[in-house]
Amino acid sequence: MQVLRKTLLCSALLGVLGAGCATVRPEQRAVLADPVMQFDDQASEDEAVQHALDNREGSYGGGSVQGGGCGCN
Amino acid sequence: MFERMRPPSLRAARAAALLVASGALHASAQVAELDLRTTAFLEPSSASKLTVLTPLLSLAVSPTDWLSVSAGYEADIVSGATEAVKAGPLSQGVVDVVSSATSFSDERHIAHGGLRITRKNTHLAAAYSYGTESDYRSNAISVSAGTDFLQKNTQIELSYARGFDRVCTSEFAETLAPSARTALDSSQGCFSDGDERDTRDVDLDNYQVAWTQTWTPVFATQVVATGALQHGFLENPYRSVVITPTGLEALENHPDNRFRTALAVRGRYYLRPIKTAFGLGVRGYRDSWDLLSMTYELEAERYLFPWLRVLARGRFYSQTGALFWSDDYTGGEPELGPRGQYWTGDRELSPLQSYMLGGRVLASWQGRPGDRVLGAFLKLSAGFSLDVVKTNLQEFTWAGQDPDDTWVFLGSLGANAEF
Repeated sequence: MQVLRKTLLCSALLGVLGAGCATVRPEQRAVLADPVMQFDDQASEDEAVQHALDNREGSYGGGSVQGGGCGCN
Repeated sequence: MFERMRPPSLRAARAAALLVASGALHASAQVAELDLRTTAFLEPSSASKLTVLTPLLSLAVSPTDWLSVSAGYEADIVSGATEAVKAGPLSQGVVDVVSSATSFSDERHIAHGGLRITRKNTHLAAAYSYGTESDYRSNAISVSAGTDFLQKNTQIELSYARGFDRVCTSEFAETLAPSARTALDSSQGCFSDGDERDTRDVDLDNYQVAWTQTWTPVFATQVVATGALQHGFLENPYRSVVITPTGLEALENHPDNRFRTALAVRGRYYLRPIKTAFGLGVRGYRDSWDLLSMTYELEAERYLFPWLRVLARGRFYSQTGALFWSDDYTGGEPELGPRGQYWTGDRELSPLQSYMLGGRVLASWQGRPGDRVLGAFLKLSAGFSLDVVKTNLQEFTWAGQDPDDTWVFLGSLGANAEF
């Protein structure tokens, strides 16, 4: 369990550090801005599916959050 | 009955939050966005079929480019039948569970509203929702804050929701032994000082952190961590469980607190040679009732025409049972052990797997600058989706009989207009 925790912590740290190196310029975001690349683009439909699944399973949480790579607002 | 274990506050709070988020995504001066949707949930069964219709209407208005105000309404119209008594294989012949299934119908109404303020790199949002049904009342507030940095390649969002719910139960003193408590037979008299009725609190706190990151021009990820605390009456007030070999039934008895945690990681990658976006998601979940689960999701979406896109998705889910789960409580469990202190008839607390396959078709049109779709709309979209879910219950039985309500058909029809 401790090994798992250390792995997760290191992964998170590497991820955060790596985020600083990732630079996608605004003019490179045409694909990322497309609705097919957005997380939770069809929020109300996704919510309806999740609602049904929540009623038939014991888990909760970790749902998708709106947003994506557009950064155009 | 539907979603009895899933108090609607958090769902309503999320719906309200989604509404303002949706409005703000398209924030520009004097724009209004209307969303209409109806979802049908069908669970066929010979004894306990279930049908739920969920119409939804929401409107978000952006009077300025930094403010979005929204309001919405949705309902659950539920009809079907359900078994009121849970018994295990040892009670076969003692209790006829399947013929105890009783018909019911109910309606839930939820109204919600919120606002969102968007600045250059940050946003703040707040929402409120109120839900009412014959045996349940819910109030929920939610707040969230988000920011973009590292040239908008990184987005962080923090959110919190608090629910204050009341559930109708049969009348019993807190000091009464759980094994002597009885289940509700109907919602008649609830919230109206009816005889032999009482109400109990359910408090909900929900915390969430989300990190969305773009890595390359065709690859983005999202990590979402959720913590939720439920406190109060977490049982189904209508459900009894057989707890002795002689057939003694008692109201379901769950712990008063449940702390739930989930961590999800998702990625979206656009494969240029086949012009298709792929999404992959993994979620791990654990709670203080010792229920563990893993979820794996895969989807692919592409345009067939510039105005028409299709999505195909699949999902696999697997969970263990709660610590106090048993298919039969009449086998002489130690009184001070988890299955001696608590008992449940909730199959969502039993070990299970589920498989989902489905898809969506979505048509959308956007007016050219200075022009409008059908002379009225800046944007217009309409679509439908269909998903099929099959659940494999590993242990759950109705007095030894396998349930036959393990298929769910879920259809959704929606339209969205911006004007």
